Amino acid sequence: MTTTSAETVIAPARARTAADSATVRRKQGFQHGGWFVAPFLLLFVLFVTWPLLRGVYLSFTDANIAGDTASFIGLDNYREALHDSMMWDSLGRSAYFTLLVVPCITVLAFLLAMLAHHIERGKWLWRLCFFMPFLLPSTVAGNLWQWLFNSGTGMVNYVFGLDTPWLTDKSYAMLAIVIETLWWTVGFAFLLYLAALQGIPGHLYEAAKLDGANAWHRMVHITLPMLRNITGLVVALQILASLQLFDQSVVMMDFGPGPENSTRSFVQYTLEEGFTSYRVGYASAISIIFFVIIAAVALARMWLLRNREEGAR
Amino acid sequence: MGRPGLNRRQLLAGIGGLTVAGSIGFAALGTGADALASGADTRVRYWNLFSGGDGYNMIAMLDAFRKANPGIDVKDSTLQWGNPFYTKLAMAAAGNRAPDLGVMHLGRVTGFSPGRLLDPWDMDLLAKYGVREADFNPKLWKRAVIDGKLYALPLDIHVQLCFYRKDVLKKTGLIGDDGKLVPVTSVDEWFGMLKEAKKVTRKGLQTIGLWINDQNFQWWFFVAFYTQLGGTWFNAGNTEVTFDVDKATQVLEFLRRHVADGYANTGMGTVGAEQFVNGTPFTWEGNWSVPVFSGAKLEYGATPLPPVFGKQATHAESHSFVLPHQAGRGGATNEGAHRLAAYVVKHARQWAAGGHIPAYTPTLSTAAYRKLEPQHEYVGAMNHQANEPKVWFAGSTGILAQEVGPTVVSSTVGSAKPAAAAARMRKQLAELLAMKNPMDGHTAAQGGAVA
Repeated sequence: MTTTSAETVIAPARARTAADSATVRRKQGFQHGGWFVAPFLLLFVLFVTWPLLRGVYLSFTDANIAGDTASFIGLDNYREALHDSMMWDSLGRSAYFTLLVVPCITVLAFLLAMLAHHIERGKWLWRLCFFMPFLLPSTVAGNLWQWLFNSGTGMVNYVFGLDTPWLTDKSYAMLAIVIETLWWTVGFAFLLYLAALQGIPGHLYEAAKLDGANAWHRMVHITLPMLRNITGLVVALQILASLQLFDQSVVMMDFGPGPENSTRSFVQYTLEEGFTSYRVGYASAISIIFFVIIAAVALARMWLLRNREEGAR
Repeated sequence: MGRPGLNRRQLLAGIGGLTVAGSIGFAALGTGADALASGADTRVRYWNLFSGGDGYNMIAMLDAFRKANPGIDVKDSTLQWGNPFYTKLAMAAAGNRAPDLGVMHLGRVTGFSPGRLLDPWDMDLLAKYGVREADFNPKLWKRAVIDGKLYALPLDIHVQLCFYRKDVLKKTGLIGDDGKLVPVTSVDEWFGMLKEAKKVTRKGLQTIGLWINDQNFQWWFFVAFYTQLGGTWFNAGNTEVTFDVDKATQVLEFLRRHVADGYANTGMGTVGAEQFVNGTPFTWEGNWSVPVFSGAKLEYGATPLPPVFGKQATHAESHSFVLPHQAGRGGATNEGAHRLAAYVVKHARQWAAGGHIPAYTPTLSTAAYRKLEPQHEYVGAMNHQANEPKVWFAGSTGILAQEVGPTVVSSTVGSAKPAAAAARMRKQLAELLAMKNPMDGHTAAQGGAVA
């Protein structure tokens, strides 16, 4: 193919014009987009980035709540934290709660989603019932279950004919919080599963049926593999949320640490150090430690997922 | 064509601007539009932690003060009690935005950095409004003095009491001819009393409500009985722990026995007051339950906690007025704060209706106070108060209660042996003594804000 000289001249000019207009568009787009993003960026810097940096700085000081006598003490807070049995106990409690909640919520959300997906009559009612508790504020959910679990007048003991000191015995207190959390938060994971179930193409099931696969085989070989990604997401989100246990436990335990400290979570301990013991510097240090632990969990999960995907390829 | 007249939007903008400017102007002047509207010259901003019946009584007293002092407007704010209140007060004082007057538990004053977050009372001003040291219980007054200066003006003492149902116990012989509970002087006598009471206790109720699972109440009961045994916490210089493990074990065994012998039930650890209303013969509760029980029209009485170890002592705390630190404290507002606190302290008859014992002793000898029952039955508790030690980490819902309270609970409910729990308490006290007060960077042994 040949080109005329005129075309040869015009082509670069066109290209240049096109490139210029793309740059202009990019610039205009940035300017316009920038204005849209600016309020969020401002709030993010003001309420996330700045407090985080300030927290890191305070963790190297002996700042108190009055804030005017802070002096730099290097790694002293971190050294103290390593030997702080209360901190490790509370971290252990948050981890224990996570271990109890995550598998239960994942399985329960899956089962409820299956039920709501396959049931024909009153489908909307099931969906509403399973999801609605998630819309409640944590204080409402906590107070509600505090009444239900009351050993003297609560409905749980009454209905099941028990005499269990749910909220006042260290053997049951955390279990009560786990049950409340399952009821309160399962709706979100349920919704994710339900959406994923609705996204599985129907022809896969039809083909399997033609091949003679029974309901169990269809579940094991189609449904579960197709939900693998959503399960990964549910587990990751639940781990991060459960490690930050706070509102449910403080509301149900009337802002106390539970019977014999059995429900004092890491976040609650941090709050107490900062605002009851007035040790802002130390509270900052342990919150940074917690931040690192949570970040490590999130990174480990990403790394595992990437390895698995690469393995699958 | 000339400029059109003022339209609606411009008018609204103008009014809005004037309002904002006015608010800023009032704020700068240290007064408020509400104070001007009331015709008062001075406004006293007052923070307290009184809700429920206490809140009702305090508001009635403030209204009486307003009526008697039209030149002073009181802007009162009620905040949630406990640590949230103390956090807000500390931050307001540190940021120089403190109210003119505040309320604190007396035991928390030592740890609240007197001199930095709290200003001392002006004794001349207090005297001008009729408040003198001689009118207060000496022990109470001494607790409020730090480094020779008065940092808290006591309004009351509130104590742990042994409430008893006269109507339930009348068939037992535990009610004397004077209509009051027969005195108890030993552990055996006390459990003998419970044994008798159990015989007349309705099925489904405990013999005594004990707040078994509550770390604050269990700690308060421990302080009372440990003091009855003459137990101490630290030496005079706060350099050594003098906590007596044997005495502590005795107290913990005593508390545990109520549960072990079936007089109190862990499953009903927090419903003692409710059960008392329903017919439980005894409950140990704070005096703030008086309005509840009187409101329910029960036939009941209330004594200080029984002196089972031979010596009278019941746990006591005190609501006190404080002056949160202000850089430029002084002038008419400061004088108004002194006047208000003095007025409320001296007119605490209304406050006594809430069950509290007025700190201003002349009130106690008035005919009006003597008529109050069961308040008058336990007024003697003023003279045998069992208090937490005077260290920076003590005081109502403070670090000491938070650390040691769960250990007492673990013994009472039976998950730890009393002797092991007592040894653990000693260790916890040693750790607290070695801990630096974050407010001034000193341990209790190094002095800091200790008298």
